[in-house]
Amino acid sequence: MSREQLVQELYARWLDAATRVAFAASLVAFVVYAGGLLPSFVPLDALPALWHLPVDRYLAQTGAPAGWGWLPLLGYSDYLSLACVALIGVVTPACYLAVLPVLLRVGERVQAALVAIQVVVLLLAVSGALAGSH
Amino acid sequence: MLACAAPAAAAAANDAPAAWWVWLAALFVASFVIGVVAVLAGVGGGVLFVPIVGSFFPFHLDFVRGVGLVFALAGTLAAGPILLRNRFASLRLAMPLALSGSIASFAGALVGLALPTDVVQTALGATVVAIAMLIWRTGDVVAGTGEADALGTILRLRGRYEDPAEGGAIDWRTRHTLAGFGAFAGIGFLGGIFGLGAGFANVPALNLLMAAPLKVAVGTSGLIISIVNSSAAWVYIHRGALLPALAVPAILGVMLGSRLGARLLALTPAFVVRRVVIAVLLLAGARALARGLGVWS
Repeated sequence: MSREQLVQELYARWLDAATRVAFAASLVAFVVYAGGLLPSFVPLDALPALWHLPVDRYLAQTGAPAGWGWLPLLGYSDYLSLACVALIGVVTPACYLAVLPVLLRVGERVQAALVAIQVVVLLLAVSGALAGSH
Repeated sequence: MLACAAPAAAAAANDAPAAWWVWLAALFVASFVIGVVAVLAGVGGGVLFVPIVGSFFPFHLDFVRGVGLVFALAGTLAAGPILLRNRFASLRLAMPLALSGSIASFAGALVGLALPTDVVQTALGATVVAIAMLIWRTGDVVAGTGEADALGTILRLRGRYEDPAEGGAIDWRTRHTLAGFGAFAGIGFLGGIFGLGAGFANVPALNLLMAAPLKVAVGTSGLIISIVNSSAAWVYIHRGALLPALAVPAILGVMLGSRLGARLLALTPAFVVRRVVIAVLLLAGARALARGLGVWS
């Protein structure tokens, strides 16, 4: 197997596993949310009167947080569901971090540099540091 | 597909919002149908999802765009491992282009959330109508050929894959690499603004501009979307514009629909699907334009 194939196969393996975990978690959390197994911050019954609003007004009306403000609210089923959907957004950074050491080990310096920069961009996006004020 | 939005008419007649589960069930059905059609038509689901759901469902465009990005992301993540293993997707080719696209997509998402809704709605309508015309006028994309350029050589943007239809291994290399970076930055920016995966533009950029073979262009486009949308999706999450109540039925619908679409691919004439896609895009684009311009609210 060539170096390129080795890296591509490793990325595929991580992508497969991480995507399955993220999808399964999203589905289970949604069942908890829709089934009313945990209390929700914004009740599902109230959503049809709210989801037509722009996001600014939705947040103002419901008191829902922006940024990482939802992290302490994971006891609510809607935010638990959001956290699991957000896992889909960290699949790619996880795969990149998995292949970075391999690229360095096999001497693919240009590719490793591209991966490192991409990881920084993705982690900045995940952190919310560049998401702007609300 | 548009019949899924029938609860809107019923609710309007009664002057009361329909129950949440009615809308979520309708969203699941619409996402399922979009998943089937997207695979058959070879376009990303987002380009159908955002204009259709944004025009015919009661959800605000901010939330539709947030879900649209996750919708396109989910579909491409699910397909990624297969595409990488059969080497129709090239990680080496995707990495530099996705880096350019993801930075631009992040900026596009910030711009999209800062613009007034009617401006975004109008621009979305105009873009979707333009995409429909582009699909109508361009016909099937043909494989490109050419010599590798200096940047492509430095980045070693080349590869080989087995194509049973061609009866052997196909070697490929890219050209116009710098222009490709620019194209993917532009595509990423628009994708971030509108919440689209922009596969409709990735494939011609890879195939016609950079001379990647069509199958590699299609496979790598999906991989690029999965990387680019990851950064833009977080802008919507941090702004509170991703409602899990909408995201999960949409993701589930597109995943199941894509599987059915893949099975129907051999049975459905391409020209039929193509005409359906063009008609749906024109309708949804006209509706978005009319809403943005205040002609039809």
